[in-house]
Amino acid sequence: MTSDTHASAARSTKSAARPVKVWDLPTRIFHWTLVAMVSIGYLTGWVFAENTMGLHLWAGYITVSLLVFRLTWGVFGSEYSRLETFSFSPVHILSHMKELATLRPVRHYIGHNPTGSLMVFGLLIVLSTITLSGLVVLGGEENQGPLAGIASYAAGDMADVVHTSLVILLLTMIVLHVGGVYMEIKLTGEKLVRAMITGLKTVPAGTPALKHRKARPFAATIVITLFVSFAGTLLWDFSTMAPSGLATLPPSGTYESECGDCHMPYHPSLLPIASWQKMMASLGDHFGEDASLDEQTVAEITTYLTQYGSESWDTEAANRFRTVNPQKPLQITETPYWISKHEDISPDTFKRKKVGVKSNCGACHTDHYTGRFDDQKIKIPPQE
Amino acid sequence: MKSITTLVCTFTLVAAFGAALASPALAGPREDIIAGFMAQGAGPANPANGQKMYEGTYGTGKPGTPKCTTCHDISPQKGGQTRTGKAIEPMAVSRTPARFTDKKKVDKWFRRNCSSVIGRECTAQEKVDFISFLMTQ
Repeated sequence: MTSDTHASAARSTKSAARPVKVWDLPTRIFHWTLVAMVSIGYLTGWVFAENTMGLHLWAGYITVSLLVFRLTWGVFGSEYSRLETFSFSPVHILSHMKELATLRPVRHYIGHNPTGSLMVFGLLIVLSTITLSGLVVLGGEENQGPLAGIASYAAGDMADVVHTSLVILLLTMIVLHVGGVYMEIKLTGEKLVRAMITGLKTVPAGTPALKHRKARPFAATIVITLFVSFAGTLLWDFSTMAPSGLATLPPSGTYESECGDCHMPYHPSLLPIASWQKMMASLGDHFGEDASLDEQTVAEITTYLTQYGSESWDTEAANRFRTVNPQKPLQITETPYWISKHEDISPDTFKRKKVGVKSNCGACHTDHYTGRFDDQKIKIPPQE
Repeated sequence: MKSITTLVCTFTLVAAFGAALASPALAGPREDIIAGFMAQGAGPANPANGQKMYEGTYGTGKPGTPKCTTCHDISPQKGGQTRTGKAIEPMAVSRTPARFTDKKKVDKWFRRNCSSVIGRECTAQEKVDFISFLMTQ
């Protein structure tokens, strides 16, 4: 047993420089999985197109699991994984920072040093807030996930600001973290990156005996199981609620066939009532064509669109398309939101045979007639 | 044995399909519609004029739709495409047997498309000519 070796080595108070197991395997796996999840989360949420949202959600859910594990392991893990071993007083942290500022070799800490520990706690708090705000964004804006039945669009929109701002903060912290590790490597000569892979750090000669409490995996498992059962049941209950943003749209054969004769019928939530009414009153010149209908049909469709226009929905699309272009209030593809969401799509993509025109929503948004417009449902037809 | 069964099945299906294709021509809806236009003052059908209408360019209606073939294919045998990219079934009655059998639809599309392309309503005579041309296709 390696811990026995440490114990016997520690018994002789003055010993030579020797490797000591500092980071246990679960903590190391946690660290590098978190690195992977944050990278995937950043790429799929910020760099790649929206249709990678499915992967983004997986990265988020795995990050939540990692955080639950790490906080539990912070109590039941082996010595240096325990939060108490790197909880320093603010005075202690400040004096360590001052010491670092001299850029001279500093006192050696086997686990996290005081400044590093500040970063670890900071990262745990920021990552928890990012994932929780992400769940609110998912429920409020996308009508998905466990909070779909609870979070309003406005709540999701607010959470989106928190989510995005904290990601910027997180990126800054990652830069500082890597810089700090580099600095410590330079100042103490420790191979810190290797330590997070092998778990071993070299303790300088003359270091006094180390107490090294073992991990308590059984207790940790029980706590995690209890937490997951409790939180899981709660979230499961929430997730059985109907998404709060979606109204029930009874099918209208008249609307779908009369409007669907020339173009895909647009989901009624995509324009405000005022726009629909204006459109129905001007069918004689409908985007450059005569689309007139008999009076009775016009009345029927107007009633339908008035009842189910964007005001009746709390989806992202309904909320965003409610702001129309005042010069072209009938044209969804002229709304500021539509334009900003499609500016990265090349004109060639719209010319593809299966798309043809910008107004052919269903060519890429495979769930367009639900009004949801899920990011994961975007399937851009490939080049012929 | 199996190939004979297949052959018989195919033949039956083809026959049934053929009968379905032929039936609107035998039954009256299209003839009734034409008779209705004649009652509004149209004379005998002139398919040649119908063809001229179908293939011609007007430019007197809405700017985006100067001719029928803006959306319909120049060959009535082939399908067209609306300006929004939606497919239009071929206009030829032989290809789309349901053409000109629903009075409401016929009125709706003559009203809209004559207005969009020509910029006025079509006369009863023009409607009869137009339908009779596409019945020969």
